[in-house]
Amino acid sequence: MMRDRAPEGDVALRPVRTGAAPADRVTGWVAVAVVLIAWEVLCRLLEVSSLYLPRPTQIAVALYDLFVHKQAITDLAVTLYRIFGGFAIGLVCGVALGLAMAVSRRLQSIADVFIAALYPLPKITLIPLLIIWLGTGGPFMLTISALGALFPVIINTLLGVRQCDQGLVVTARDLGASERQIVRHVLLPAAIPSVFAGARLGLGVSIILVVAAEMVVGKLGLGARLYLAGQVLETETVFAVLVVLAALGIAVTKGLDSLDTLANRWRG
Amino acid sequence: MTPNEDVVHPEIRLEGVSLVYEAGGSTVLALDNLHCRFAAGRVTAIIGPSGCGKSTMLQITRGFMQASRGTVSFIGPDGQPMARPPRMATVWQSFNLFPWRTVEDNVAFGLEMAGVPPTERQARAREALRLVDLTGFERKYPGQLSGGMRQRVGMARALVMDPDVLLLDEPFGALDAQTRLVLQEQLAAMVERTGKTVLLITHSIEEAILLADTVYVLTARPGRVAAEVQIDLPKPRSIASTHDARYAGYFEQIYGLLKSEVLRSMHGEVEAG
Repeated sequence: MMRDRAPEGDVALRPVRTGAAPADRVTGWVAVAVVLIAWEVLCRLLEVSSLYLPRPTQIAVALYDLFVHKQAITDLAVTLYRIFGGFAIGLVCGVALGLAMAVSRRLQSIADVFIAALYPLPKITLIPLLIIWLGTGGPFMLTISALGALFPVIINTLLGVRQCDQGLVVTARDLGASERQIVRHVLLPAAIPSVFAGARLGLGVSIILVVAAEMVVGKLGLGARLYLAGQVLETETVFAVLVVLAALGIAVTKGLDSLDTLANRWRG
Repeated sequence: MTPNEDVVHPEIRLEGVSLVYEAGGSTVLALDNLHCRFAAGRVTAIIGPSGCGKSTMLQITRGFMQASRGTVSFIGPDGQPMARPPRMATVWQSFNLFPWRTVEDNVAFGLEMAGVPPTERQARAREALRLVDLTGFERKYPGQLSGGMRQRVGMARALVMDPDVLLLDEPFGALDAQTRLVLQEQLAAMVERTGKTVLLITHSIEEAILLADTVYVLTARPGRVAAEVQIDLPKPRSIASTHDARYAGYFEQIYGLLKSEVLRSMHGEVEAG
């Protein structure tokens, strides 16, 4: 039963706790530096063509060029807006739907069929259809991004509510809570760690879908930059955009970690 | 927790209460024709072997479960059945604290649900916490407290609602013996002061005698009333009450009744197993 399992099995059940010890962090950065230096030195020694593999210094120059002379900051802003705008819509809808399904048996049996059909479908295959319906503008980008986040969030919210200790529900009722208050004050907070796990997965999918959609149709955005640079064989620029996307990934992961710690500080 | 002029501590009557449920295609009789009277402003203990339906009885009294037969009625001070069920609050064996709420917000939960303004509910929660000696722990989370402290939060959370009826579902069952003794004494004093109608579910004879005015001993499944024992020991009771000559008499009487039931239920389990 797909609805009983988070997309990545047990790993998705509890948010990963990160925050390595300082020594580990230093080791990590040293390793990155060693790889970069080896890359630079090997490229120079073996005279690798920058068309295939530009040196880190060339990528750094391209990155500087991209942001200082080529207004890449606009592309970054547009891509971020599409990712987070759509993700926010997907998150809100996903939590609402997941909660509603957890509470209403009927809604759940209806939604189960649709989710079973839509969840395993690679969302990227919806791009042609969505372009027919919505064109290639903002609504299309937000929709594809929202779709990416929606399913992991629904499934994990449902899972989180299901795992809520029934004793707490009875206790809330004993203390005079209405059914609506139980949903708001017991089921939802009990599901938060699981919702976070779903949001983490969902945001990853949103990022993939937005960049992919930009590569297909975009005139603006990091995906568009990446695709255009590839078309004209500006390999340094391709790497520069990849660096930006990687940095974005790191920032998002760390941001979610901090939010997670904040929201779940009672577990401390 | 503030004294209320129009408080009505009701008497609770269970008349002919039976519970039958379906399990695996066969019907099981869990409670059989119970007649009990939980006197107004008094503590009544229900004691019986595991699985005799003690907690089920509490759920039926609370209104969370429907009896298959029989009635639960609440009698007001005028001797008439009350128009509305009285206010009730429960203290649970497994504490059931909301782990994501601070101690103070756990205690204030019921007030918050009832729409009491934040400043007032904070003040009342703090007062309730002071009564269970937890001042200074308001901002802690349940996960940071010991078992005994958690159950004191559970007691404060029920008492802050100022219920007419206090239901205690094996409240100290999950605690170690020493913590249990201390909390039993504290609870005895607190209950004595407030004069609420209290229903105590327990499997500890000592606890029943220490806290209750009346003890109902239930039989093994199906739960029937085996005996009703009136505990006539001076109050407030404490560990010193166990030295009273009558204490040993009560203990032996209840133990005698329970022993045969426990043996019978063990025998039943052996047969069933």
